[in-house]
Amino acid sequence: MWRLTLRTTLARRARLALTLLAVVLGVTFATGGLVLTDTSARLLDDQFRTATAGVDLTVRDAVAFDSAMGVEVARDPLPADLPARIAAVSGVAAAQPLVRGQGLLEVAGTPVVPSGASVLASWAPAPTGSFTIRSGRPPAADDEVVVDEDTARGHRVRLGDTVTVRATETARLRVVGLAGFGDRGGLPNSTVALVTLPSAQRLLRLGAGVSEVAVVAAPGVAPDDLRDRISAAVGADYEVAASRDIAAAGAAAARDQLSWLQLVLLALAGAALLVGAFLIANTFSIVVTQRTRELALLRAAGATGGQVLRSVLGEALLVGLTASAVGLALGVAAATGIRGLARAFGVPLPEGGLVLTGRTVLVAFAVGVLVTVASAVGPARRASAVAPVAALRQAAAARTGRFRVVAGALAAVAGPAATAAVLAADAPVPLLGVAALGAVGGLALLGPALTPTLVRLVGRPLAAAGVSGRLATDSAARTPRRTAATALALALGLALISYMAVLGTSVNSSVRQSYAEVITADHVVESARNEMLGGLSPAVYDRVSRLPEVAVASRLRYGHWRDGDATRALTAVDPATLPQVANLHFTAGNLAALDGGGIVLAEHVARDRSLTVGDELPMTFSRTGTRTLPVVGLLRDGDARALSTDYVIALDTFARLYSEETDASVLIRTADGTDRAAAERSIKAALADTPTAQLRDQAAAVAGRTQMIDQVLGLVTVLLMLAVLIALLGITNTLALSITERTAEIGLLRAVGMTRQQLGWMIRAEAVLVAALASVLGIVLGAGFAAATVRALGRDAPTVLAVPTGRLLLVLAVALVAGLLAGLLPARRAARLDVLAAIGTP
Amino acid sequence: MTTNTLKPPPPTSTAVAVQARDVVRTYGRGAAAVRALNGATVSIPAGRFTAIMGPSGSGKSTLMHALAGLDTVDAGQILLGGTDLCQLNERQRTLLRRDRVGFVFQSFNLVPTLTARENIVLPLTLAGRRPDPERLAHLVATLGLTDRLRHRPGELSGGQQQRVAVARALITRPEIVFADEPTGNLDSSAAEALLGFLRQAVDDLGQTIVMVTHDPHAAAYADRVVFLADGRIDGELDAPTVPAVLSRMARLAAPATTGAN
Repeated sequence: MWRLTLRTTLARRARLALTLLAVVLGVTFATGGLVLTDTSARLLDDQFRTATAGVDLTVRDAVAFDSAMGVEVARDPLPADLPARIAAVSGVAAAQPLVRGQGLLEVAGTPVVPSGASVLASWAPAPTGSFTIRSGRPPAADDEVVVDEDTARGHRVRLGDTVTVRATETARLRVVGLAGFGDRGGLPNSTVALVTLPSAQRLLRLGAGVSEVAVVAAPGVAPDDLRDRISAAVGADYEVAASRDIAAAGAAAARDQLSWLQLVLLALAGAALLVGAFLIANTFSIVVTQRTRELALLRAAGATGGQVLRSVLGEALLVGLTASAVGLALGVAAATGIRGLARAFGVPLPEGGLVLTGRTVLVAFAVGVLVTVASAVGPARRASAVAPVAALRQAAAARTGRFRVVAGALAAVAGPAATAAVLAADAPVPLLGVAALGAVGGLALLGPALTPTLVRLVGRPLAAAGVSGRLATDSAARTPRRTAATALALALGLALISYMAVLGTSVNSSVRQSYAEVITADHVVESARNEMLGGLSPAVYDRVSRLPEVAVASRLRYGHWRDGDATRALTAVDPATLPQVANLHFTAGNLAALDGGGIVLAEHVARDRSLTVGDELPMTFSRTGTRTLPVVGLLRDGDARALSTDYVIALDTFARLYSEETDASVLIRTADGTDRAAAERSIKAALADTPTAQLRDQAAAVAGRTQMIDQVLGLVTVLLMLAVLIALLGITNTLALSITERTAEIGLLRAVGMTRQQLGWMIRAEAVLVAALASVLGIVLGAGFAAATVRALGRDAPTVLAVPTGRLLLVLAVALVAGLLAGLLPARRAARLDVLAAIGTP
Repeated sequence: MTTNTLKPPPPTSTAVAVQARDVVRTYGRGAAAVRALNGATVSIPAGRFTAIMGPSGSGKSTLMHALAGLDTVDAGQILLGGTDLCQLNERQRTLLRRDRVGFVFQSFNLVPTLTARENIVLPLTLAGRRPDPERLAHLVATLGLTDRLRHRPGELSGGQQQRVAVARALITRPEIVFADEPTGNLDSSAAEALLGFLRQAVDDLGQTIVMVTHDPHAAAYADRVVFLADGRIDGELDAPTVPAVLSRMARLAAPATTGAN
């Protein structure tokens, strides 16, 4: 029986190829996602370990938490005498003061803006320094710099060239050496400028202070003992940590920033596998239907039902194993492609050799085999139920079972019901996911029962167009189970794309609306780099506010704080000037009250926390620990969103709580009677020394705020396209099989005078019909759930449903055209059928 | 079934509906090549009912397919009306089948998703034409299908299905109707009825019909039988009777090892 299984599987290579493809894609996504995150994790681990390789302990200013939302918190500089005090502790072999900060590199007048960090650091030789000189020599004088080899190669920097480094201060420095990092030519997605310690202190305006002290233990001294001794010597204001732990924490923080990508890729793998499962089930039921006679013959010859069942499942197992192996290989290859794709959408991932772990291999095979075999169980059970006499009978059309209809109806009703519960009551938003699953499951079960009606409805224009269209519609309606599964697979992909499009557009347009409503500034200056904290040099505010054309300049800053286990963001504003550039609506309290060191909350936050004006909010800050801030006002949700966070404090309060010196936005009102163009010219001139500062109009400012959404949306949509592609191949597959089944009918049609063109049109019309059915289902489903999600989101911030009609029509058009393309091959095959042979087919 | 001795005399018309001249058709290549037609020459008179008979492998189906424009030939000439089929491309042959030829096959004559009426008018629909309501009504009434028009093939008996096929073959007023073993899957009473209808179409409508059969009883309904052996015409028989056909078939079958039935 096993040999027979193997032989029948191999005999149907073409058909299996498409089934394989469906599984392969899912496994590829899963493997690609895992490989990519494993690789990123290892690269980040390596990077952080290399950075502290020769160092046993690091002394820094003590903070309550190291990093928030992937950004390392700013620490106060250490006093100048600290390195000497540490060096004096017994057991310390070396105590190297280090300065680290941000310094934009400018080569030949052009700023080099990497997607990652612009590192400016003091040079230290090994073992305390982590960089090695690859050519030239280390910086010795204060006007000398060493840059990393990758940047030098990428921007044609040679030894002896002069580059500009822009930190708090700006300096022109001569390149005397090129550095590497571990076995690499630099840090991933970053530029590195290494200068002398005094030079770094001057550029970052640290005075005699240093960022940290790297400590090397003397031979034979246990780092743990040394840590305790140094701790005792320097006091509790300073943190002494094993460099190993710092590396691990840094890597973990960096990995955290990428965790969403893994989530997205695994979710896509799930979607692809779901689409795949439909196609597998479809292909296997067609194969079983076509093999009814063969199976009946086997049964008549003495094969038991169990043997037939195992034979079909064995075939599925073979397909699953093969597909998993191929998917695994492709996934490893795809990891590189996804990395490139992510980069194209502005999500930089560390570059380096790929990591394939045993877990990835296991997951790939488990997922591939399980999905394939599980999808084939239904068809296999039908196959085992084939009666021996069926060999002599024509197979009767399968009818939709009553149980299936009832279960499907229940599931389909559960979807909208759960949606209604989320919208009407305050049921948790994740219930929407359950609702979506219910709706999809319901459709999958009800599909065969609904398909004939839906097909005739959607196919009405086709049927009106002529007999070919009529026959195409009939053919799709005749095999409802197959049509439903094929259409649903495609509908699922299209639903996800539509969901993303509607949700993204709604959020974007809501952000835009709030922003336009609240921010009345004439101009906005922001960093082109869209860093987490804004990344605008404070010099920008100083220069812009002094311009005669500028009547009011008001700046915003962002900060992170800990709220129990969660990390949250807050916005610091200038209560005196903000009302002149923003139109804020308070439901309680007012902006001026912020001056006393209080906090303003967005309405929904106050509601969720049951806080009102006069209550207190405990907040943990990295530098100052836990403080309790009095609530002095409640702000409309949309207004809070225009300020980017739900928590607003005054800049004075910010200065007491944070040491970060970075602005997020400078909102500008020009003086009365100033020509707009002239004002823009003079602001731009004032920004000349800060190349990453960008003068933005409102649209650009909104785009900066929604950039992350757009990036993820773009990336996910492109990846979803692959799932849609597989679903389209499903149409090709289904049609090819349907043509095989209808060979005699096609022969007859040709004999009585249907031309090849008419026949091709008929097949293509069926493909387009299935695509149209899928589009209608998918777009309605996706847009519907997006609308529900928007409503649910509206509880936290006013979110209006914005339907991107153009984009949805594009999805529809692409799906229809793709359906047409999917039908090309089967249509050609059908047109090429030999009329005589076709008529003779039983 | 009895021999139809009450047949009216055949029309005196000598017009030729379709003729084949020295037609050669080879399947396969090299050693495996089979000459299905090996210089067959035959004329089918218009307005008559002609049967083609011969043992299995004699080329009778191939000849019919060639005459009907379903298949091409390797050498020789096929003239349908004034048209040389060998000069036509695939599309022209398809349109010729649609507009000038009717078909009745042994089985699977109807598109399962279309109703009986839609199946009947299918060639016209494919051509984008509307049926002549009078002709349709007449055909349907003659074939006893009036109350069956809304049914799908699956809901019709085998005899009814073949009658629908006959109606479809006649609806376009074709120059010639080809029937390939039309009674092969029918019981004897249904077969007799169907042959009666074909006979009636020739007698009442002046329709030209060519029927391939291996059943002497069916052949006896024809005005004339053309015998085929080894890809060549091996004689003709006018006003055939069952015994006459049987004895001719016996002679044809004798040299070959395969029987006709």
